[in-house]
Amino acid sequence: MKRIAIAVLAACICSVSTASAQRVEGTERPILAAGIAEEVINVEVNYSDSRVIVFAAIPQPENATSGIAVALVGPVVPHRMIRRSPLGEERIEFVAAPQVFAVGAEPVVTASVSPDTMIQAGLNAQASALPRLDQLLSPELGAWREAFVGLKMDEGLYTFGEATFRRFEGGLRRATIGLPLNAPPGEYTVRAVAFRDGRVVGESRQRLTLARTGLEATLFDLARQHGLIYGFVAVLLGIAVGGIAAWLGRK
Amino acid sequence: MLIHLPIAQVAVDPLILVAIGMVVGFLSGLFGVGGGFLLTPLLIFYGIPAAVAVSTQANQILATSIAGVSAHWRERQVDTRLGTLMLMGGLAGSTLGVGIFSLLKAFGVVDGTIAFLYIVFLGVIGGLMAWESVNALRKAGGDPGRRTRLRAWMRGLPMKRRFPRSGLYISIIPPIGIGFFVGMLAAILGVGGGFILAPAMVYLLGVPTRVMVGTSLFQIIFLTAYVTFLQATLNGTVDLVLAAVLMVGGVVGARYGAIAGRRLKAAQVRLLLALLVLAIAGRLVYELFVAPRPEYRLEEML
Repeated sequence: MKRIAIAVLAACICSVSTASAQRVEGTERPILAAGIAEEVINVEVNYSDSRVIVFAAIPQPENATSGIAVALVGPVVPHRMIRRSPLGEERIEFVAAPQVFAVGAEPVVTASVSPDTMIQAGLNAQASALPRLDQLLSPELGAWREAFVGLKMDEGLYTFGEATFRRFEGGLRRATIGLPLNAPPGEYTVRAVAFRDGRVVGESRQRLTLARTGLEATLFDLARQHGLIYGFVAVLLGIAVGGIAAWLGRK
Repeated sequence: MLIHLPIAQVAVDPLILVAIGMVVGFLSGLFGVGGGFLLTPLLIFYGIPAAVAVSTQANQILATSIAGVSAHWRERQVDTRLGTLMLMGGLAGSTLGVGIFSLLKAFGVVDGTIAFLYIVFLGVIGGLMAWESVNALRKAGGDPGRRTRLRAWMRGLPMKRRFPRSGLYISIIPPIGIGFFVGMLAAILGVGGGFILAPAMVYLLGVPTRVMVGTSLFQIIFLTAYVTFLQATLNGTVDLVLAAVLMVGGVVGARYGAIAGRRLKAAQVRLLLALLVLAIAGRLVYELFVAPRPEYRLEEML
């Protein structure tokens, strides 16, 4: 059933790929005909990991430098970074930075697109961390951002070059990008950006929701919204398990 | 097979967590310590976020302590009267300790100084205990002598009460005072304090080693219930799925720990506890002087 849905999605993308005169909101880039296989991924207690499949149609005419990059970005939250130094601790606040940033590009894109173009296309992880206005001109912003991305990579939440791509006839591409195991539930944006001759020729943005369900959702909501009840449940769980073990031990 | 933890937000292998719980539970049942000093770093090493690891270990220790204390209870080796007095002192001491910790932090006292004091403290306790227990093993292998010079100061204190389980007739001031001091130290150092309290009970109060284990676990039940409730209510960082999986291994380990403890001589238990305390001091020395410390750290402002 999932395969049929993906096939239908790919067919739809092929059929609309010629009509791409609209522009991406807030940019001068034309909309890229693209879609994702699943718009909602459910996180339950037995959730281990997931993959996001993106279909995109490269704007025609295609040449040897045509290719796509995909990025899975979100949820955007404020972060605080602390640096230890001999004089004490220094801090910087990123008012908006994605918790997850997974990006991958076809080899032809990696070889032909400049780092500046990648930043303009919103595919650079360091540039996605936005500092407070008064810290925007800090001479050390680059070092802070580099350390930020490094820490996120250590957590496995920022990944680079881990997407796989497959080319089909008619300029259709299928990209598969992994969602990290520890990706927090929330709203994500799946972006596909098409390049030709080192320039952006189209872009698409799709919303993806990573949603908690079942026991996972119940416990999370209880912990966040009813802390007092959650506290009692936690203590009762400890007493119950310990009590049962003691009783079994006597038997 | 992996399971996803709702609060920690990571997928983990439950069998590995059961094994971790079992090892820590075994030590808890054997020595009467909570085991947080071992469980927290093991969980962090396995990939659990530090805030969740610190909060959840208290919940797991609550269950293992109940399971562990039941075995000692049946053998009438839990001195509830003594334990309650030390618990009262401990709660008051930890409340004051939290205040002192905040004050030290506000005045910018470096973490390294606290860690250094911690190493000295653990090194002295562990070293003295190891030396005493090795000497005791050369003789009969029992408990330290009752009328030592170390405990001479207690005999003149007022408000004496009988503690039949421990076979003591002492003032209630030392148990409350020791509980208070250990509670305060534990709050300042950020640990449970079981491995400080356990030798204090044996050497300063003269509690027999086997009663010490049961009585220490008795106190830990109340302390960990209090910590679990606070962490779950105020921070929401207790992961019940993680706690439940750890408890399964922990309660089994605690029972076997208690059984193993009965087969050892009292001095052997003290020697093993001394080695454990020295191992913790060794780990701290490594962390403070050898292990690289991260220059940057990151916090989400949710």
